[in-house]
Amino acid sequence: MRLSVLLAALVAVATCTETFVGHQVLRVVPKSDEELLKVQELQGLEHLQLDFWLAPRGLGFPVDIRVPFRSLQPVKAHLEASGVSYSIMIEDVQALVDEEQTEMLRSSRQLPLTTNTFNYEAYHTLDEIYNFMDMLVAENPNLVSKLEIGRSTENRPLYVLKFSTGGTNRPAVWIDTGIHSREWVTQASGVWFAKKIVQDHSNNEGVASILKTMDIFLEIVTNPDGFAFTQTSNRMWRKTRSKHSGSICIGVDPNRNWDAGFGEAGASSNPCTETYHGPYANSEPEVKSIVDFVKSHGNIKAFVSIHSYSQLLLYPYGYTETPVPDQKELHELSAKAVAALSSLYGTNYKYGSIITTIYRASGGTIDWTYNQGIKYSFTFELRDTGRYGFLLPAKQIVPTAEETWLALKVIMEHARDNMY
Amino acid sequence: PAARAAAVALGYLRYLRGGPGRALELRALRRARRQDIDDVGHKYYLELELEDVLDKDRTVNCTAEVLYHLGNKSSAPDVQVTVQGELRSTEEADQEFYNRIRSLEKELVAENIPDSHGNVPPELEPIRLLAGVASGYLIWQNSTENTKFHLAQVKRVKQVKRSDEDLQFDYVVLLHEMVSQEVIPWEVTVLWHPRRGGRVSRDRRQPPHGPG
Repeated sequence: MRLSVLLAALVAVATCTETFVGHQVLRVVPKSDEELLKVQELQGLEHLQLDFWLAPRGLGFPVDIRVPFRSLQPVKAHLEASGVSYSIMIEDVQALVDEEQTEMLRSSRQLPLTTNTFNYEAYHTLDEIYNFMDMLVAENPNLVSKLEIGRSTENRPLYVLKFSTGGTNRPAVWIDTGIHSREWVTQASGVWFAKKIVQDHSNNEGVASILKTMDIFLEIVTNPDGFAFTQTSNRMWRKTRSKHSGSICIGVDPNRNWDAGFGEAGASSNPCTETYHGPYANSEPEVKSIVDFVKSHGNIKAFVSIHSYSQLLLYPYGYTETPVPDQKELHELSAKAVAALSSLYGTNYKYGSIITTIYRASGGTIDWTYNQGIKYSFTFELRDTGRYGFLLPAKQIVPTAEETWLALKVIMEHARDNMY
Repeated sequence: PAARAAAVALGYLRYLRGGPGRALELRALRRARRQDIDDVGHKYYLELELEDVLDKDRTVNCTAEVLYHLGNKSSAPDVQVTVQGELRSTEEADQEFYNRIRSLEKELVAENIPDSHGNVPPELEPIRLLAGVASGYLIWQNSTENTKFHLAQVKRVKQVKRSDEDLQFDYVVLLHEMVSQEVIPWEVTVLWHPRRGGRVSRDRRQPPHGPG
């Protein structure tokens, strides 16, 4: 550190740029006319080369003075001699300048160096999120690994983060966000969830207890082609970006493409619509890759697919009015999860089966997972209820993620305590 | 279904009572009842709790009746809304907005409100609220029992200076329809005056989106 300070000073001398090594910023709050006078006197002493960041305004108003190193002693003596108290706001101005330089370089490269400096309160690009995943894995190699479960239509990797403290094929929880690309708060929440899991584990609280016996799988960008498209071309894009023969229209609704009531009422057969179910079930690689993963894993006990907006917690079915056999348990669990969610910021959620709570929808994710035997299959619709809709302001990302996490924990804990 | 009727009632109320200084939102649907009237249609009786987001501490209760006509898809639902109590006065904010826009040298033009990240520059918030008034009209006029519309975004807005006292804004708004999940661009022109309120003078629906 000393060496760099010296070098900076030498460089500054050589290049005639200013350096602030050893400069301090002092704050005086004059409490009497005498004190005010003493401070004003300093303004007249030009040889001290004082730089008033906050000039004297009157009694009670702070006066901030940057004092060069060699003027420190005379200035402090001047103040102390008159009993004027001061505080040192900045001990070394150059240190702050250097820090800022580093920060600016860092942000101009657009890459945070650690998941601790990652900005969770902003929306990020696909590259930034993929970079975040790699950093998280690098920082926590004993807990987190990254799996590639397939490739999207446009050949983007489909990544799933696995959180595991060991074991072989432990019972697991699956969470996916971003299956509908325009629902940006979901991918952003997924990033927050990933960090939260790691933090809980480090602090041995929260989901640390769940990780003792279960694994967590988290797919943050479940529809990367769609996500990229929302960034470059159409912020309101929902579907995948596949092109199937026979139509000029692009994209299949990945939440109508699953093999549960596929093609029945509650999805569209028109490729140009937002709920187009696709030419056949699992036609979309984004969907097929999850299907293959779930089947080959064989031990997933809870499956949560996250969407926005509407503030709802939903369980199957969407394709039929027949209630699921576990309706009572899922309804009660939903009530608990929603209560936990609301407890944080008072956000109101409704809950129920898909078909009774929003509308008939066929070929949906959790209808398929439930029929596979994953009893605790849920869909969330996160904030808000329409005021901003898909365009939820970034400052709501963290509160949304925090409250949703409480509900997720209720579900995960219930799955752990009711193993089947 | 009741929630859809509530959205219609809210749209209607926004059209009648909204403005650049008033941000009415539905806080809760307290009670709902449906009545099937033979040869006429379905009528919903609703008790709603509203709030003006700019005046968060206060909620306003209102009752609404929404009648969806049988068969006749091109006819707007009949809506009646009764607000209990007073909505916060927006006279000052409205006048300020009016004066500000009238004094602009160049006609106001803007896009993407909110932007992709949900940001709305403070000086454009009234423009957005006025789009809510226009959308309220569109939602009221175009809803059926099988649709639920929300204003997703103001894609474009262009002010048109007028020789009379009204302000005129030509909008392209994006309406998100929940059941089909379509996002539909809609051209709509709003005339507004601080004392006379807002009215839609013309509207035209555009096709949902191209092939992709």
